[in-house]
Amino acid sequence: MKRHVHLLAAAAVLASVTPAAAKKVPPVGPPSKAITEEIIDAIAEEMDRALARLELPGAPKPFHISYKITEVEVNDAVASLGHVTNKKHRHFVNLECRVRVQHDGVDNGNFVVPGGEAIDGSAGISLSLEATPRIARRAAWLVTDTAYKEALIQLRAKLDARAAGGVKAGIPPWTTEAPVVGEEPVLVAPLESLDDVIARAEKISAVFRDDPTIRESHVAFTSYLERRWYLTTEGTSVNDTRRASGVMIVAHGQAADGQELAQYFTRYGRTADDLPGDAELEREARTLGANIAALAEAPRLDAYTGPVLFQGQAAAGVVRFGLAPNLGGTPLPEGINPADAKLFGGALTDRVGLKVVAPSLTIVDDPTIGVSAGRSVIGGYKIDDEGVAAQRVEVVKAGMLTNLLTSRTPASASARSNGHARRTFRGGAFHGSATNLIVTAKGGVAAAALKKKLLGEVRAAGLTSGLVIRQFDDAAVTATTELARRELIQIAVNTNQALPPPTLLAYRVTLDGKEQLVRGAQLAELPIKAWKDLLAVGNTPTVANYLASTESQIEHRIDGVDEGFVPSSGIESSVTTPDLLFKELDVVPSTIGLRARPLVPPPSSK
Amino acid sequence: MYRSVPALALTTAVLLSCGPGGKGGTKTTPVPDLPAEPVELPAIPSRIETATSQPTDGDTPSARSPVLDVMSAENKRWMDVLAKANDPAYYLAYQLVEQRVVSMDAEGGAIIGDSDDTDRILDVEIRVGTPELDNTRPISGDDNELNAPLRRRAVAPFGNDKLALANHLWLETDRRYREGVLALAYVRQDQRTLGKREAPPDFAAGKKETYIATPAALVFDKATWVARLKRCSERAFRGVATRGSCGLLFTQNTAWLVNSEGTQTQLSWTTAQISVSVGVKADDGQGLGRLEQAFAQTPSGLPDDAGVDKMIDAVTKDLDALHKAPLADPYVGPAILEGRAAGVFFHEVFGHRIEGHRQKDETSGKTFSSYIGKDIMPAWLSVFDDPTLTTLNGQQLNGFYRFDDEGVRAQRVDLVKDGKLVDFLMGRNPIAVSPASNGHGRKQAGFDPVARQGNLVVTSTRSVERADLEKMLLEEVKRQGRPYGMVFTDISGGFTNTSAFAPQAFKVEPVMAYRLYPDGRRELVRGIDIGGTPLVALQSIRAASREVETFNGVCGAESGWVPVSASAPSLLVEKIEVEKSFIPADRPPVLDAPSIRKGGVR
Repeated sequence: MKRHVHLLAAAAVLASVTPAAAKKVPPVGPPSKAITEEIIDAIAEEMDRALARLELPGAPKPFHISYKITEVEVNDAVASLGHVTNKKHRHFVNLECRVRVQHDGVDNGNFVVPGGEAIDGSAGISLSLEATPRIARRAAWLVTDTAYKEALIQLRAKLDARAAGGVKAGIPPWTTEAPVVGEEPVLVAPLESLDDVIARAEKISAVFRDDPTIRESHVAFTSYLERRWYLTTEGTSVNDTRRASGVMIVAHGQAADGQELAQYFTRYGRTADDLPGDAELEREARTLGANIAALAEAPRLDAYTGPVLFQGQAAAGVVRFGLAPNLGGTPLPEGINPADAKLFGGALTDRVGLKVVAPSLTIVDDPTIGVSAGRSVIGGYKIDDEGVAAQRVEVVKAGMLTNLLTSRTPASASARSNGHARRTFRGGAFHGSATNLIVTAKGGVAAAALKKKLLGEVRAAGLTSGLVIRQFDDAAVTATTELARRELIQIAVNTNQALPPPTLLAYRVTLDGKEQLVRGAQLAELPIKAWKDLLAVGNTPTVANYLASTESQIEHRIDGVDEGFVPSSGIESSVTTPDLLFKELDVVPSTIGLRARPLVPPPSSK
Repeated sequence: MYRSVPALALTTAVLLSCGPGGKGGTKTTPVPDLPAEPVELPAIPSRIETATSQPTDGDTPSARSPVLDVMSAENKRWMDVLAKANDPAYYLAYQLVEQRVVSMDAEGGAIIGDSDDTDRILDVEIRVGTPELDNTRPISGDDNELNAPLRRRAVAPFGNDKLALANHLWLETDRRYREGVLALAYVRQDQRTLGKREAPPDFAAGKKETYIATPAALVFDKATWVARLKRCSERAFRGVATRGSCGLLFTQNTAWLVNSEGTQTQLSWTTAQISVSVGVKADDGQGLGRLEQAFAQTPSGLPDDAGVDKMIDAVTKDLDALHKAPLADPYVGPAILEGRAAGVFFHEVFGHRIEGHRQKDETSGKTFSSYIGKDIMPAWLSVFDDPTLTTLNGQQLNGFYRFDDEGVRAQRVDLVKDGKLVDFLMGRNPIAVSPASNGHGRKQAGFDPVARQGNLVVTSTRSVERADLEKMLLEEVKRQGRPYGMVFTDISGGFTNTSAFAPQAFKVEPVMAYRLYPDGRRELVRGIDIGGTPLVALQSIRAASREVETFNGVCGAESGWVPVSASAPSLLVEKIEVEKSFIPADRPPVLDAPSIRKGGVR
């Protein structure tokens, strides 16, 4: 390995993430056959040549070139009523190049070209599935050339925009980070075979046969492996491997008044060993069926303002949808339109050092871990999407915001990346984002005591009932292709994108402690200040792995889930949190999803 | 879903988003005059030998799949109810397509893409209302097609399990019926608003058909084909090419169709395709590319290595020549469209405008709507479309099929007879002059069918040898006082506007275009498109060659991609208009290419 000798002295040698395996250590699979040292060397040679010689007359030369090689292997299967509906094996290798150029201290990064969102100083190309250095070098030559020309266009547009709108002085375009070297292959467990995932999907999906309350159901399994190599002109040469397996069970029904009903169960882990066994999954599937049947008979919720208890997956959901998007410290990309700016998050960027949540809470984001609260978590990595080493970050300590999750785009002159750059936003902008987000609290109480506190607050507020929420919808999982165009238009028009997703399991709890399932409970806006009014927390953490989508919930609802697949698309993430009791939230009734019931009953095998 | 880049994008622009709004309607464009003194051509027809297979050939009832029973039972269960519903449905069709797609690509001697996927795609078509007026009638002002059916890629389980299959049929039927009821309410409201307006019915009845094909099997040795692709792509990466790739696409297809008229068909076939593609960027930034493809019914029918080498030689020599070729200037004058280029020319300029549904669409230009029985091209030219043709002059034709995607038998349709327009390509969307389908309702799985071409054939009762055609071109050059004539040997595709809101113009993109000088010198040029209007272009044809060539490819339009062929003699055209094509502001890579030789670094 002859590359970057001049920079190695300054490089931080990175240790592998050490997963404290929850169960057993699975066997490891072989290293990549597509990307070998010879391939990396060939690309590095082209990178060095480009940095030294790539220059158009009258234009700035690149000051930074980076490559990300991604090799993905996936086995996916979806089945319905005991029979597979989709099965796919995918294997591909992609080379992505990013070029940065600058003029008078302004570089092309973190800028959205108006009307040209795809012009981001990067370009991609396929690499061969078997190591062929001469072809890899040729590919690097072409992709670097394209990225360089794009970077020049992006810089020109950014300079024009700044000339028109003023210059942000004093903040460097991006941070300087120590190069990272870690060239030993990261070996992970091999994929479960396509036959295995098909067999499990068919077996679990058969649970829904002859259940007259279920309109549609499907079960998806995935086994996913992503190898990454990063190479930069700063001297970084590092590789990483991410491995995940997942299961998703989805069922839909329809209430007597025509309102659509959805239930889902998802689990992700590092391998199939982290997933529940077949017997447990069949139980979960039956529970979904029972929930649909109960929801079909459940009354709709009236408008409600009062204490709300989030339990289990819903507690993870309220952290995911209501808190995590605000922990990023990356400033808004310049040129971004106001609608997208709203979705970018970052409500706390100017609140560091201030109390932002209840003093009992401490929040950490840690991409270096593989296990949280005894469960495997999938949000970790060795290096982030900008090639910076992953770091544990204490975001909130005893209610006070101490840090934000940062990328290499600084919000202030002193800011540094803490290894949280992920491409969680549309377009090419990297965003400081949550990975494995862990919420802990002092004074946690058992579930029964927490419910008692809820009822106490209900009584104190003069109400007759409180609300417990146990699951939020996730349109990336439950969106169907069952809707007609005009029905979709109604949903698009009537959905407030600023709100959290609708709830799927919500219970009205009366003062005697009895619970009644209700339909159509939709949280009104969940302002960040509501987190200061947390009344109490549980003492048992819920661990939820999920794949964060770059598309909004409404986009998923309109597009439908492509071919029933979901499990391997999205950004691996996890939340660990105790149950959460909020003092006062507004909940509104939702009638979205009303449609005529079918004139013909569902078919039966009998 | 992985799919190779289609062989040839024969596209048509249909601006369906524009409502009639008074802008539409039939325009009676005068037919250009035929030349006063037509050139005398020998009364020797172009050479065409064809083989056909009739729709019911190979019917094998014993090969019937239980899938058809599940589909017909669910269809009946629904229609028993829907026929009597408040908003009655009068027609319900299910098509289930199972398609295995094997795709591999190699670049520079290494495999870069390798997939083998099988999908089942379900399409449900429902008609609510009556054949005279149903939910599919376009409504005025529906710029965003809010009332059109929403295509969703409905999936269905593999295997024959009755419950699993029926459940997915039930789900999509329910969605389509709700959608149909909603749409019909808007259609009726629109009719009330518009007042009485004469219009052809929305649907043509069909007769009950039954056909069962034996399931086709895709047989190939993967290791052999991987080795062949690597060899191919290594050889293609030569000369000036910065991209040299070879790809293969094998498919195995079974399509089951049932409808409420009692039709039940099971069709099954395989296809195979190999392609050689090379590309480079010219010094002025124009992207140059050459593509050669071969099609067959099975992998074993594709060219052997020697045949592939010929394809490689053709594309690499052409690319090297194109890289050195000068940019051409705009030109109006005589030209020869060689066989395959003439086929593509007819497909674009004539074929898309003869698709029946365009004659009733209020937003369509309806170029040929009022020309039935009138001369639209020289009397020695005729045109037909015949999906039952399997070969023409020994070459397999891509546009063969037995039944269309609406369950109607494939039929030969004479479109132009002795220069006169006589008919249109019809699906089940009738027009006044053609009230029934002639078996051309086609679609890609996941789309709604419209009238499409199959095997388009141009014939001539008078023809000359190819060499004589070139002499005639030079005489025409002299007569018109032009410095040179043009010869087009390959056209990559094109674009034809059929919307009433824009000129009824076409543009096709020649890949290999030559200037032919009076001294016989040929000069390759680049950077041009052929433009014009169809009626004028067809009337400008002055001679045809004896030899007929075939273009095989796939064609994309509003009902997706369908395989097609176009066969034609080489044609001498009195006047053709050549425009400069768009060349993006770009330049070749800044640095020289690194060597691709083993161990070599430039």
